[in-house]
Amino acid sequence: MKALKKGPDERLLIEAAQKAPARFAELYDGNFERVYAYVARRVQNRSDAEDLTAEVFHQALAKIAQFEWRGVPFSAWLYRIAANAIAARWQRAARERGSPVADDPPDSRARVNPEEVERTAQLFRLVKTLPDDQRRVIEMRFAEEKSTHEIARELHRTDGSIKQLQFRALTNLRAQFRTKAKKKASAKPSRKSGGRNG
Amino acid sequence: MAKQNPSEQLDLIVDVIRGGRGTAPRSGDKKLAALAEVASNLRDLPRADFRARLRSGLERRTTMATSAKAAPEVRATATPYLSVRGAAEAIEFYKRAFGATEVTRLVQPDGRIGHAEINIDGAKIMLADEFPEIGFSSPESLGGSPVHIHLDVSDVDALARRAVAAGATVVRPVEDQFYGDRSGQFRDPFGYTWAISTHKETLTTEEMQHRIDEMSRKQSDAAAPESRKYIREGFRSITPYLVIPKAAELIDFMKTAFGAEEHFRIARPGGDVIMHAEVKIGDSMIELAEANSQFPPTPAAMVLHVSDVDTVYSRAVEAGATPFQPVADHDYGSRGGTVKDISGNSWHISKPASGNSIFEGFRSVTPYLNPLRAPVMIEFLQKAFGAEEVYRAQSPDGVVHHAQVRIGDSLIGMGDAHGPYLPMPCTLHLYVPDANATYERALRAGATSIQPVADQPYGDRSGGVTDPFGNRWFIATHIQNAPAAG
Repeated sequence: MKALKKGPDERLLIEAAQKAPARFAELYDGNFERVYAYVARRVQNRSDAEDLTAEVFHQALAKIAQFEWRGVPFSAWLYRIAANAIAARWQRAARERGSPVADDPPDSRARVNPEEVERTAQLFRLVKTLPDDQRRVIEMRFAEEKSTHEIARELHRTDGSIKQLQFRALTNLRAQFRTKAKKKASAKPSRKSGGRNG
Repeated sequence: MAKQNPSEQLDLIVDVIRGGRGTAPRSGDKKLAALAEVASNLRDLPRADFRARLRSGLERRTTMATSAKAAPEVRATATPYLSVRGAAEAIEFYKRAFGATEVTRLVQPDGRIGHAEINIDGAKIMLADEFPEIGFSSPESLGGSPVHIHLDVSDVDALARRAVAAGATVVRPVEDQFYGDRSGQFRDPFGYTWAISTHKETLTTEEMQHRIDEMSRKQSDAAAPESRKYIREGFRSITPYLVIPKAAELIDFMKTAFGAEEHFRIARPGGDVIMHAEVKIGDSMIELAEANSQFPPTPAAMVLHVSDVDTVYSRAVEAGATPFQPVADHDYGSRGGTVKDISGNSWHISKPASGNSIFEGFRSVTPYLNPLRAPVMIEFLQKAFGAEEVYRAQSPDGVVHHAQVRIGDSLIGMGDAHGPYLPMPCTLHLYVPDANATYERALRAGATSIQPVADQPYGDRSGGVTDPFGNRWFIATHIQNAPAAG
């Protein structure tokens, strides 16, 4: 977690949201990808991930006044809410299946590694920094789960050009991702990042 | 397999990653392998529209939370909206009469004012011409308006003069009101009544209520002045007459503890022994005199009605009274406590709960008797003084817990003696229309004479009796106002 930008800034945001709930939006913007990445790793499908992410933020908003700053990142609090929400959902599902004893969720033993979650969240955020056409292809391909052909039809392009855009986008992401990881790994400013391919 | 270009190969890898939930397929190409790893991390990429929808959902909730929180700060306003016949003239009138300024005026094609707003020293008033066709009718059409407009201004007298000069008619002239305002009512030429008011004195609701009660009492007292001529001014049918030791000190005590006003005092020549004094507590007169060998002490028990029991109780104790029964809420509907003063009088300081107190109708000071058998005393009072029993709470064993009788315009409370509440014969001053007749009746009912009825130098005709229970009654009829009492 050392890689995360924490400390006074986040604390100020939390205090602002506690005073004026409308400021919660800033905490949401800063943590959405994290929570989503955390939840998505632990559930089977996209709709569960969305339901649970929504539940986490609604709970967090409702309880924001109770949050006490103890130097622990805000995301840790959100992960705890998420873990509880996932467990509750699993138990409910178990009851609905008629199982007298609620099992543990299948992957609850495989603890989610916060570093990994953070890396994934980072990647999600980087998608938004891509050039528009690349970003659109990545979103459609991964988030909207469309085929290259469907995307090509929708964007009035050839299949080949969509594949090219996808290739460039992933190359860009990888380059930026590596650069960021390096920046964070070493306290010193990094060398100039690798050039973009296309 | 034919050699594919890297973007084709990568697309196939992405299909595999997206299809299965497994890891990226191996690829010999180092660069492709790295891109596949990125792609597998993107497998859970959230949908942009979900992110946006959730954000706006949360925002709606925070806006609601914020506005709910902010609601108390939002001041609701109520603005009179006047329907008038001749809105244009009305606006001119309000300018002349109240110094109004015109804020808005919207005119319909037919020339009628559809909406206008004026401002009177910061107060917003809306008005329009009447539109009877849509039920928006003026007082002139309806024959008056039941709603008055209350206008708070800094100088009611000046504004009232201005309004009358402009053509308003006086409904009620400006005067000081019991509720602490100085106000008057004026009707404008369009049928609206304006209560114009300037705040002078800040009062609690309780104080205002007290003033209303005072006023209605004065009015009812004034209502039948002819029939009350036999009662000396400022008195009522029954007045406690405290014949007690330390009379002068007691007056000071009553002033300090109960806010009594001294109205009259006559001392024995060459000394400060009080022969007769009159003090007023609230709306009630109390007479007192120093006890002597001819008139031994007859301290009285009284109920004292106050608005703040606890304060008055502590003030009484500080002023030298002995606590007798601490202040408590009583199940008979009042909060009260009892003290004994330095002269031996017992004061039950009480605040009646509104509505159902047993002390309903009591004045500021009402005598309270604890005879051994209340029904026997009530029977005597009926025979001797024409008393009327207005209330009796009696348990099946015959014990009277509380009873109330009315003589003339006054009440006497009583209850059978019990516990610390022993019989305390007292002296009462009773005004009746015919002192001679009542004196005779009292004797026939079993009282014994102290002094026969005779004209007194202070303008009363009076005599005295002792009732079978030891209470002394001075029975009087007021004949004339003495030039100087005493």
